[in-house]
Amino acid sequence: VLEAPLISLSDAFRATSLPPAAEHLRSDVRRFLAEYSWERPPHARARSWAGFDADFSRALGERGWLGLTLPKAYGGGGADAFSRFVLVEELLAVGAPVAAHWIGDRQSAPLLLHYGSEDQRRFFLPKICRGEIFFCIGMSEPNSGSDLASVRTHAVRDADGWILRGSKIWTTHAHRSHYMIALVRTSGTQAERQKGLSQFVIDLVTPGVTIKPIVDLCGDAHFSEVFFDDVRLPAEALVGAEGAGWTQVNAELAFERSGPERIYSSIVLLDLWVDYLAGQSETRRSHRALLGRLVARTAALREMSIAVTGRLAAGESPLIEAALIKDLGTSLEQEIPAEISAALGEDPDLATDPELIRTLAYVQQINPAYSLRGGTREILRGMIARGLGLR
Amino acid sequence: MTTDPLFLDSFVRLLDDVVDPAAGRRLIQHGEGGAQIWRALQESGFLDAVVPEEHDGAGLSREEIAPLLLACGERLAPASVGHTMAARLIAATAGARLAVDGPVALWPVNAAGRLRSQLAPPRAEADYAVVQRGSTFTLQPLVAGGDDDGFGRPAATLDGAAAPLQQFELPGVDLLEWAAAVSALWMAGAISRVLEMTQRYVTERQQFGRPLGGFQVVQHLLAITAEQAVLAATAARIGVAGEGAALDPLRVATAKILTTSAAGEVARAAHALHGAIGITEEFDLQLYTRQLKRLQLSYGSEAYWSEQLGAARLAARDGTSVDFIRARIAPTAAGLEERPLAS
Repeated sequence: VLEAPLISLSDAFRATSLPPAAEHLRSDVRRFLAEYSWERPPHARARSWAGFDADFSRALGERGWLGLTLPKAYGGGGADAFSRFVLVEELLAVGAPVAAHWIGDRQSAPLLLHYGSEDQRRFFLPKICRGEIFFCIGMSEPNSGSDLASVRTHAVRDADGWILRGSKIWTTHAHRSHYMIALVRTSGTQAERQKGLSQFVIDLVTPGVTIKPIVDLCGDAHFSEVFFDDVRLPAEALVGAEGAGWTQVNAELAFERSGPERIYSSIVLLDLWVDYLAGQSETRRSHRALLGRLVARTAALREMSIAVTGRLAAGESPLIEAALIKDLGTSLEQEIPAEISAALGEDPDLATDPELIRTLAYVQQINPAYSLRGGTREILRGMIARGLGLR
Repeated sequence: MTTDPLFLDSFVRLLDDVVDPAAGRRLIQHGEGGAQIWRALQESGFLDAVVPEEHDGAGLSREEIAPLLLACGERLAPASVGHTMAARLIAATAGARLAVDGPVALWPVNAAGRLRSQLAPPRAEADYAVVQRGSTFTLQPLVAGGDDDGFGRPAATLDGAAAPLQQFELPGVDLLEWAAAVSALWMAGAISRVLEMTQRYVTERQQFGRPLGGFQVVQHLLAITAEQAVLAATAARIGVAGEGAALDPLRVATAKILTTSAAGEVARAAHALHGAIGITEEFDLQLYTRQLKRLQLSYGSEAYWSEQLGAARLAARDGTSVDFIRARIAPTAAGLEERPLAS
C-alpha cells in the first residue's frame, strides 16, 4: 500500500512571508556592511561562507548578530529563524567572510542549547555569541564519508572521564577553531550502526589532538584532518545522552540544508557577470535569457527556503524538504559558473575583465564541494525517494 | 498567503464530482462534456472567486486562487477556468461585467491582430475570447469547430465577422501575462499529478523480481521529479502574487520559466519510468504530458520569458541579484507581510 505522498505541495512549502521584525533587521545589517571595512576583491568574496575573518565575526558578535536565535539569557538575540534568514541572506548576497563563526552559529550553538547541560550552555553559548570561540564539526573519517554510521573513532570510559582515539577528516576550519563537536562511538560495534554513537565537545588544545590542514584544489586550506591519540576528555565533554548521538545529529540537519547558503554560494560571481554584461554596449539574447533563467530559479528557491524556515520556526524538522532544497539549490550554484563559463567563452575575441575571469575560475573549480558538504547529492536523493515511499 | 481550506475543499469536491478521470479524458481527448462541467462551475460561484466583493465576487486575493487553479491542472479541469476568473476580475476592475456567463479564453494580440501564442486555446474549453488591443478589451465569439492544433485538440479561432458583444477600457493590464500565469498554475497542477502517477507506478510495477522503485537509479529519477514539481508549484504561485487586475511581468516570467522547464523534465522522467504503456492512448499519463507540452509552447516559452526577466535584471544596475529578487519578484515585495493571513 502506498503511503500518502510525503511531499504534499501545498503543505510542505506553504507560502510564507518574512515577518516585519525580520525585515527591520535587514536595513541594520546593510548599514553595517556598508560601513564596516571588510572590502575585498570579488574573487575573495566568491569564497562566500568559506571566507574566514575572525575580526569580522567578532564585529557581528558586538552587534548581537551571532547566536541571533539563542535565548537572551545565554547571550543570544532571542530572535526567530526568519531574522536569521535575513541576516544570513544579506551577508551571503555580498560575499561577507562568515566562516569563522559559521559552524558554531548555525549548528553547534543550537545543538548545545537543545542537548547540552546547563553548565555547557552557560560556558559555551555566551562565548559563541561574542565571537570569542569558533567551532568545527567532526563527522567524516578516512573510512566513513557518506556512510556516517560507520565511524570508528571511539571514546571509552576512564575513571574520571573518557579516552578518545581515532581521527576525523574533511573537518571545515578545524585548524582555526577552538572546539570540535564530534560524533564518535561509545559502545557497540560498527555493525550496530546508529546505536552506540555519542557526541562530545572537544577542546582542540587538549594534549593528544593533532590538526593537519588539507590543501584543496584551489590552494586554500579550509579543511583538516584531526587525530586523537589517547585524548583525555572530562566527563562533562559528553553532549546530550550517551548513545543518542545519531538522533542529535539528525535533529539539526534541516537547519543545515535549507538555508540561503544552499542557494547563494555562486551569487557573487553571478552579480559580477551581471555588472560585466550591463557594461557592454550590446548583449546577446541568449545571455539575457540565461540570466533570466538563473534569476528565476534563485527567486523560487528563496521562497522555498523561507517556507522551510517557517516550519523550522514552528519547531518542526522538515528533513525531506530540506534535502530537496539542498539538491535543487546546489545544482543551481553549480550551474551558474558552468553556464557563465560557456557564455564568456562564446567569443574568443572578447576582451573580458581579468577579475571576472579570476572569480569565475575559482567558483568553477571549487563548486563540486557544494553538493558534497552537508550531505552529498546522492545521499539526499535517496532520502527524498524514501520520503516518496520508495525505500 | 493561504487559501481558506474550507473554500479550497469545497472547490476540489466540486471538481472531483464534475471532472472525474473519465470526464477529464472526454474533455481532453474528445473535446466533449465541457458544457456540463461548465454549468456546474458556473452555478458554484467559484468563477467569481477573485472578483472584488463590491462587484459581487468572493473577493479572494490573486494568491488565494492559486490552489484552485493548481487543482484544475491536477484533475484535467478546463484551463479556461483560470482564463475566465482573470477575465471577470479585469472586467470588474474596468467597471464592467462580462456579458457572457460561459467560459472565455484570454486572447492577447499583437499589432497585426495575431494571437500572441504559437498555439491557440482549445475550442472545447471556451466559447468566447476576451481580446486585448492596447488598453481596449472586446468580448468576441469563437467560430464553431477548429483544426487540430497538432496536440490533438481543435484550436479556437476568433470569429472575425461577428461584432464584439462588449467592449471596455483598462490600461496597464497585459493578457499575455495573465494567460501565461494561469497556464503556469495549470501546468504545476498537472506536474504534481504526473509525479503522483509515476510514484504509484514504480511502487507497483515489478521487474527483476522487485518493484521498479527498489532500483536506485529509479529512486533518484523520481527524487528529481519531485524537486521539479515543488519548484514548479512554488514558481506558479509567485506568478499571481500581488493585487489588482494587472500582474507583475517579472513574477509571471518566473512562473512560466520554471513551470515550462519542469514540465519538460517531469514528462521525460515519467515516460522513461512508465515504459511503453505510458505512450499509449489508453493510459492516462498522456492526457497530462501532452497538455504540458502544448502549454510549454503557449503564451511564450521558457526562452521568451527568460529574456524578459534577464533584460530587467540587467536594467536594474544598482543592487545585487538578491536585492532585485526581493524588490521585484518575491511575493512579499508588495508589502504582503503587512496583511493578516486569510483565515
